[in-house]
Amino acid sequence: MWSLSHDDVEAIAIGAGILGTGGGGSPYLGKIRMQHLLRQGYTVDIISLDELADNALTCEIGWMGAPTVGVEKIHAGDEAQWALAALEKYVGQPLDAILCSEIGGSNSIAPLEAGALTGKPVVDGDAMGRAFPKMQMSTHFIAGVACTPAVLVDEKGNAILLSHMTDSFALERFTRDLCVQMGCTAMLALPVMRGIQAKATSVPGTITLARHVGEAVLAARASKDSVVAAVLAITGGIELFTGKLVDVQRLTARGFARGELVCEGLGADRGEWLHIAFQNENLIAWRGGQASRDQVVACVPDLICLLETDTGEPITTEQLRYGLRVTVLAIPCTDQFRTEAALKIVGPSAFGYHDVIYHPLPKQAGMGIQ
Amino acid sequence: MRRMIGIKEVEDIALGAAVLGTGGGGDPYVGKLMAQQAIREHGPVELVTADEMAPEDMSVAIAMMGAPTVMVEKIPGGNECVQAFKAVQSYVGKEIRYIYSIEAGGINSTIPIRLAAQLGLPLLDLDGMGRAFPEIQMVTHNLFGITATPFTMADEKGNSAVLATIDNRWMETFARGIAVNMGATAHIACYAATGAQQQESAIHGTMSLAENIGKAIREARTAHTNPIAAIQQTTGAFVVFHGKLIDVQRRTVAGFAHGSAVLEGIGAHSGTTMNIQFQNENLIAETDGEVIVSVPDLITMVEEDTGEPITTEQLRYGFRVLVLAMPCHPHWRTEQGLKVVGPRYFGYDTDYVPVETRFA
Repeated sequence: MWSLSHDDVEAIAIGAGILGTGGGGSPYLGKIRMQHLLRQGYTVDIISLDELADNALTCEIGWMGAPTVGVEKIHAGDEAQWALAALEKYVGQPLDAILCSEIGGSNSIAPLEAGALTGKPVVDGDAMGRAFPKMQMSTHFIAGVACTPAVLVDEKGNAILLSHMTDSFALERFTRDLCVQMGCTAMLALPVMRGIQAKATSVPGTITLARHVGEAVLAARASKDSVVAAVLAITGGIELFTGKLVDVQRLTARGFARGELVCEGLGADRGEWLHIAFQNENLIAWRGGQASRDQVVACVPDLICLLETDTGEPITTEQLRYGLRVTVLAIPCTDQFRTEAALKIVGPSAFGYHDVIYHPLPKQAGMGIQ
Repeated sequence: MRRMIGIKEVEDIALGAAVLGTGGGGDPYVGKLMAQQAIREHGPVELVTADEMAPEDMSVAIAMMGAPTVMVEKIPGGNECVQAFKAVQSYVGKEIRYIYSIEAGGINSTIPIRLAAQLGLPLLDLDGMGRAFPEIQMVTHNLFGITATPFTMADEKGNSAVLATIDNRWMETFARGIAVNMGATAHIACYAATGAQQQESAIHGTMSLAENIGKAIREARTAHTNPIAAIQQTTGAFVVFHGKLIDVQRRTVAGFAHGSAVLEGIGAHSGTTMNIQFQNENLIAETDGEVIVSVPDLITMVEEDTGEPITTEQLRYGFRVLVLAMPCHPHWRTEQGLKVVGPRYFGYDTDYVPVETRFA
């Protein structure tokens, strides 16, 4: 168990930004809110999965919606308490700990804020080891944990509890439409599960991993070393491409930020182009010419991350714009996403890319996302 | 007052409810069959007036929501309303002793009868509309500050939800979205109200009214007298048009059956046409471009010979109909009531004129 500090939040926000693979919403606003809570005297304990009791009652806390809206729409601040209260009322007993749904992006910080405000410990792990745009893309649900009860709340004080859903795809449909009606962002708390289930199906240690990535970035910046090398030393994976953004297509449709970008190579990659398709998160990267996608070099569920070349600052899909100098990394995902069953839900075909075949990025045992 | 509702009474209520359904509310036929089956299995249902309730006694409304065009095709699984009821019971602090209808018009007159039979609970002789309306907040209880929260929903596949919203208009938004995802129909339980709240806010006697309308039509048919005159005697309806359906436009969009019907005048009305716009229910009737009846007054088309009410999903070319207009409950005629259900809410830039001032 460790207690979250101001510097930890700084580091987690940087690490989560990288693990967000372009999506998950910018952790920036969450970071500011969380640091404000710490200054006010709130504290949060982070406990490892091992420290979680088997019979403890837990639930994930996170935001749902379009990141493009998430950076504009201000929260009420009480959403996590409202959501937890609704779940606790439904199950008839208090919850013992909070889980992180998605370590990538703003949902890395949301459970920490909830933990600070409610005094409940936050479990060091998540259900993705990255960011993903849909509810069913969760190690818990892929492993068969029931996805309900689930609660959505908005900043106005509306609370919708889904008591039973036929499956996590139904949950995605119901919650997505509700989220759009709530104004394209909503706080989600789900499902109520036992400690033993969380231990068996979470991606372990990812809050610590995000913190370590962030600390490595900060240390590299301070010592003027390569940020990219510092990140890869912790996450594993490879540097895919270095270049300049020359085209971005983006639209917000049905609650998602969809689009594609083109990056023109610089340095060793001069004369080549990298194309990336995204839906909130970066999905597929192709190497090719200016207008041709010749070869898939990385794809979901492995992580494709854009860092600003000079600072190592992660770039989210809503921040993409012409002229940014970027370095693109590919990082191996959790093994839980590399099974045949999981790839149906988080692989390229799940996003409509039926002709893209997933080749797992090589990973080193005990390193990076477990 | 207390009396029993059996198979025959349900038959009459369903027929009368179709008249009060103003073209919508869902075809009461399916609901009638389900209510009658439940009465056969569990025995008749006690119908009681609100003055029999103790002021603190709790009641809850049970209904189906969704597009009537889908309701006639998608058969309920059977247990959804019990599920919705049990869920709402767990959120309402005290024991629910009475079931009521939120909407006397259409299928929601009979859905609560079925649940009341299944649970052995009495049904209240009242509703929250005195007719049918398409949206959740269009309930007289809403005008008196009663909240639809806690609001529970269930579908035939096993999906269920509990909604708590900051007002009843928001409830409509979220519940509609969920109903669409449930397949455009869902069973709901909502608007928990005490005896004291019912006294003040409900429209009283409407289950009996539906039954009396149905009974009058049935008896007129048996006696070979005019069923339309029988409807007029029980409701105070005005016959505002006689015509033949020559065009129907209908779309099921966002969980509603939207559309319009064009009638070509017959007899005294020959040479004129009437256009009726509907959103589940008939909203507004115009002759030659001039509004002659609008919500919240009731507009119901009945078949010219049998007096059989015609729902908007049944409309088709060639029907010969009489268009009846009936005054709505005074609760709807207040400034606040008209904000919720007046013509402007539905997007028609016209003032509400009570039907009797035009036709009496």
